[in-house]
Amino acid sequence: MNLTELGIKDLRELLNNKEVSATELTNAFIRNIEESSKLNAFIEKTFDKALMQAAEADRIIGTESQRSLCGIPLGIKDLFCCKDVKTQAASAILENFIPPYESTVTQKIWNEQAIMLGKLNMDEFAMGSSNETSTYGSAINPWRSSASDDFLTPGGSSGGSSAAVAANLCAGATGTDTGGSIRQPASFTGTVGLKPTYGRCSRWGIIAFASSFDQAGPITKNVTDNAILLKAMSGFDPLDSTSAKIEVPDYEKELGKNIKGLRVGLAKEYSLQKGDSEAKKKLEQIISLLETMGAEIFEVSLPHTEFALPTYYVLAPAEASSNLARYDGVRYGHRANLDKNDTIKDLYEKTRSEGFGTEVKRRILIGTYVLSSGYYDAYYKRAQKVRNLIKNDFDKVFKKVDLILTPTTPTSAFPLGSKGTQDPVEMYMNDIFTVPANLAGLPALSLPVGLDELGLPLGVQLIGNNWQEPLILNTAFNLEDALGFGSSPKNWWA
Amino acid sequence: MEIDTETVLKIARLSRIKINDTDSSDIQKDLNRIVEFVKKLSEIDVNGVSEFNFGETHLEDMRQDSVTIDDSADDVLKNTKSKNQDFFTVPKIVE
Repeated sequence: MNLTELGIKDLRELLNNKEVSATELTNAFIRNIEESSKLNAFIEKTFDKALMQAAEADRIIGTESQRSLCGIPLGIKDLFCCKDVKTQAASAILENFIPPYESTVTQKIWNEQAIMLGKLNMDEFAMGSSNETSTYGSAINPWRSSASDDFLTPGGSSGGSSAAVAANLCAGATGTDTGGSIRQPASFTGTVGLKPTYGRCSRWGIIAFASSFDQAGPITKNVTDNAILLKAMSGFDPLDSTSAKIEVPDYEKELGKNIKGLRVGLAKEYSLQKGDSEAKKKLEQIISLLETMGAEIFEVSLPHTEFALPTYYVLAPAEASSNLARYDGVRYGHRANLDKNDTIKDLYEKTRSEGFGTEVKRRILIGTYVLSSGYYDAYYKRAQKVRNLIKNDFDKVFKKVDLILTPTTPTSAFPLGSKGTQDPVEMYMNDIFTVPANLAGLPALSLPVGLDELGLPLGVQLIGNNWQEPLILNTAFNLEDALGFGSSPKNWWA
Repeated sequence: MEIDTETVLKIARLSRIKINDTDSSDIQKDLNRIVEFVKKLSEIDVNGVSEFNFGETHLEDMRQDSVTIDDSADDVLKNTKSKNQDFFTVPKIVE
């Protein structure tokens, strides 16, 4: 078996038994990355750093200083600032930005002695559902439809992360999720993606999109790896006052418990449309599997679900318009060339006009509009109230059930260029099942459950109450164990 | 259409984003589409509903007002395209 096909847990065992060295392992992933330019997943490679870290890991393995991710090669979404490594959030406005500091989440991962292979492609500032808004061009899904040779989206915004994990370019990856940006890409690539409870991971050093939604999380090959990586990424941070002072459990230890008596809710508002028959069938299969395992299934209602996307598309752009005000061409990133008589206002306007892509500009403009005098109450304030109604819906449901089961996405991965070119809202609809958890701050995981009639991965989503990551991961672990989703894409890119 | 040409120019000015005439009509069309989409929120009665928040804030947990980051001016200035000694430079602001 090829080493790079293994996940974090299996690699940890090989490393601990000295059956492979961290340096050999890192070189194997580097080879895969070098052969994967067609996938456009890695946009900045840090191989020298990786090999130095690997040599250090080889020195440490087997000693008392060894930590939980020692020698495990990972990829990092380009939204995380990494000290002395080019970090652009896949935007031209951050052209050649080299952060003088490290994000808390990545620092925690390096403290656990993981190895950094490089930065992963994404939608510009995490605004997109297909990776197509990246200034580097889209990452490509390693999966292909049996019906055509079209390049498919790896999902967005963490599409480089999902593509890299699915194509064995790294053992696991970090992602971030503002409206579905971890779960939708995971669903499209047959990987496991978890958005933790808001406040579980520090946002410090993660380039901000919509601060009351943004949350980091892991994308991995399997549930156990997800639990391992989540533990490393989580925890209170004095530099982020919204991070929670709640102890981080040993998620891996929670796995394997039986789920007899687990109460699972099916929300009637999360129904699939006609034509998604395969996804429907898969969901039904999961429901009967849960019943076989002793779980009880209840129909529940989240009556404000239809307002989730409109709420999100007021609040997230509003926060983005404020967060992205910092890109002024003065201190870092792109700076427009000015004419002789240009003023500071011209510097701002030209820089921002040249540096931001179409979708990012659209969201800044709509955010500015909903916050502007005369429209604030009708849009922003109203959306904040509806957000509360959506949160209340979940609070009520979680009095009756422990978890909610939904599809992750309405369809499997779609061809690049096929959505949203005429109508931006068409692309937004992709996040219909994932956005509500972000509005309510809840943890949610996407688990691959099989392939559709085109041979493409499908995922289901488990949403839990705040801080219920252990329950979500354990339920996903039981399902994964029973389903044995072992499919991987055929290598056409190397 | 709720967002007319003048409004597009106004919010572009507030956003400090320059838009040219050729882009302006596309942007106007997209913004109106999004506004039409989020208008659905007007269907809900929100009387008496409070605005969303994540719960309590812990003011007692605030950090000490002391320097905790050791960025050097040199490190921070590495990323700018225009500086003079230890300062960022911008076009002349005062006459």
